[in-house]
Amino acid sequence: MAGETIIKPDLQFVKRVIAAGGDTVKNCYQCDTCSVVCNLSPDEKPFPRKEMLQAQWGLKEVLSDPDIWLCHQCSDCTVYCPRGANPGEVLGALRKMCIEKYATPPVLAKAVGDPKFLPLLIAFPMVLLMLALKLTGHWNIPEGTIVYAHFFPTLLVDAIFVPAFFFAVAVLGKGVLAFWQDINAPHPWRVKVEGNLVGNLIATVKDVLFHNRFRTCETTYTRSTNHLFLVFGFIFLFIVTNWGFLNEWVLHVESPYFLLSPIKLLAMAGTAALLYGIWNIVKERQANAAKAGYGSYYDWFLIYVIFAVGATGLLAWLFRLVGIKILAYPTYFLHLTAIFMLFFYAPYTKMAHIVYRTVAMLHARMSGRGF
Amino acid sequence: MNADNKILVIGGGMSGLTAALEAAEAGSQVIITEAGPYLGGRVAQLHRYFPKLCPPTCGLEINFRRIKENPNISFYTMAEVTQVSGSAGNFDVTIKVQPRYVNDRCVACHACAEACTQWRVNDFNYGLDKTKAAYLPYDMAFPQQYVIDKSACSGDCGQKCLEACAYDAIELHMTPQTLNFNVGAVIMASGWELYDATKMDNLGFGVVANVITNMQMERLAASNGPTGGQILRPSDQQVPKKVAFVQCAGSRDENHLPYCSYICCMASLKQATYVREKAPEAEVYIFYIDIRTPGRYEQFYWKVRDDENVHLIRGKVAKITQEPGTDNVVVVAENTATGDKQSMVFDMVVLAAGMVPSTKASPFPLPLSYTPDGFVIQDLLPPGVYAVGTLKGPLDVTKSVQDGTGAALKSLIALGRRS
Repeated sequence: MAGETIIKPDLQFVKRVIAAGGDTVKNCYQCDTCSVVCNLSPDEKPFPRKEMLQAQWGLKEVLSDPDIWLCHQCSDCTVYCPRGANPGEVLGALRKMCIEKYATPPVLAKAVGDPKFLPLLIAFPMVLLMLALKLTGHWNIPEGTIVYAHFFPTLLVDAIFVPAFFFAVAVLGKGVLAFWQDINAPHPWRVKVEGNLVGNLIATVKDVLFHNRFRTCETTYTRSTNHLFLVFGFIFLFIVTNWGFLNEWVLHVESPYFLLSPIKLLAMAGTAALLYGIWNIVKERQANAAKAGYGSYYDWFLIYVIFAVGATGLLAWLFRLVGIKILAYPTYFLHLTAIFMLFFYAPYTKMAHIVYRTVAMLHARMSGRGF
Repeated sequence: MNADNKILVIGGGMSGLTAALEAAEAGSQVIITEAGPYLGGRVAQLHRYFPKLCPPTCGLEINFRRIKENPNISFYTMAEVTQVSGSAGNFDVTIKVQPRYVNDRCVACHACAEACTQWRVNDFNYGLDKTKAAYLPYDMAFPQQYVIDKSACSGDCGQKCLEACAYDAIELHMTPQTLNFNVGAVIMASGWELYDATKMDNLGFGVVANVITNMQMERLAASNGPTGGQILRPSDQQVPKKVAFVQCAGSRDENHLPYCSYICCMASLKQATYVREKAPEAEVYIFYIDIRTPGRYEQFYWKVRDDENVHLIRGKVAKITQEPGTDNVVVVAENTATGDKQSMVFDMVVLAAGMVPSTKASPFPLPLSYTPDGFVIQDLLPPGVYAVGTLKGPLDVTKSVQDGTGAALKSLIALGRRS
């Protein structure tokens, strides 16, 4: 028969979707309510109905479907779904599996999504940092006023964190390049891209920064504001980190800095925005759990890591200001642990959405899908 | 009085009438109570009904005649069963009859309505028009007797009606009556209500002009309806040339009615033929998840499907809005066969709303077992109590009638066992 498509269902894949938090996928009866109530979904080949179908039928190529990343899990679909199939949550599970698929090694992504491995994931950076201190003879509480650089020398911090950061960037880069190739492979349910890559990328990043798409959510509208705080908190702190790097190695300005210095003020603003954002994200998730679902362990892993980064950072700063050594140094140690977890595990946690969603949005923009 | 040969039938619609008549004609004494002011129930409100697609009078007239000719049957309209006690063979039943303010001397001359100064929303026409506060429920109503809606008839409205009546038929001081009966069996046949379409906030009913329900469509098509049988859209009384039917408007939806309402697909297919017959150039779109045509009804589906002006689109409508600046309606659905989300503009949209058992809102005055959706669970009914038709699950007229006959037989058997 002409135009015949032979589909290859994979039962194991369906089971994996169910295990990853998409346990309601089989409830879907393809009525299309979700695709219609979704404000983010384009008119041509809309999501999430077709993704629900692919997931239900065990069609693995759904993981290379850019549309799973166009979804911001507003949960409008989940609220209106007549069958309790929770398309929002199923797509969340598919995104998790997509990160796993494109991560190197994928086993780390599996570990990040499994509470069994949590002690190991925390222990790894702790042991690493402890060893670094021991081997360089810094495994003690320094005398005098609290200066974190006396406890954990800046050179040592950079020697660990700069490679960790670039490792994460490399793994993410490799994953996202493979993803870009796959989403541009010919497929009956996908659309071709055209136009200027750089120009469109700039426009996409602008959309991302201002959360223009995210804001069209109805059921969980406040999420976009909370997330915006979080993003700008990160941006501020990223600037602070680079500024500090510059101070240390180029300008030779010693930390800790003066309380009202611009870098310190920026750090405070960043920490405040980050903590405000993540705190409200937690509260919002709890308040909306009945309508939008509570989220999976995978979601909460990232939330807790970000929370830990913000909270330990704030506490380390406060303990230093009031001069409680016995609390300040251990808190700083935990702060470094949390930051390591955030960056080193980024290609495997939900953090990876930064690149996959951006690339999917770029693809959508370049293929004229309502962007 | 001997309760052993008496049966109470609650509900004077098609199911209740059938059960009552079959039992009475087999020799039982039957009492029918009907909450509304007329017998005939939902069927009376249809333009045509399955399977023969004849107007409701063709089935109801014969039943009314059977009632008139049968001394074994008595009936009470505007009556509600408030209390039931006892057990099979010996139920004590209390009935409260609301005042009609019009007595048996009424000859349906319409003089009171002419004189009446005030208006009421016409529930028979599902709110599409108004009647005077003194009104005949519908032209073929049985009993042919006017009613005065006291809540809508304030001031001197009642007095005007009274003065206009040449037959002494109006009694403004009628009071509610309480009646007690002793019966051997009870048949529940209180039927269904249409699901409240305003509960689906994305389908625009009550907000977007020219979005109506399927029962309103029956009234628009009926010759005794608000438009005299012309299908005109409510906002400007124009003939709609492009009509959409939205299937599963509330049904098969966990947020509303988790069950299939059984009749809506057939109703919409039938109503598509109304539109096509009355406006030959009109186009009809039916948006569905699955077209369900139980049993022989499949053949009717083939007929409608083969009409080239009828378009069946597989995809549920999940968004309905007003076209800016017009009275037209924008319907959004994904055509799941092509995978494209379409916004289409229609002159009028019909929501295929579902069935809700009347026991959902007003449970029977006996501790019965209901499904979470309010349907009566037949197997858990106490001995001597039977439920008919749509009280047990969504059903069409034909099956309800068969079920009514079945319930009559079960009652007779139950009564026979005791004598």
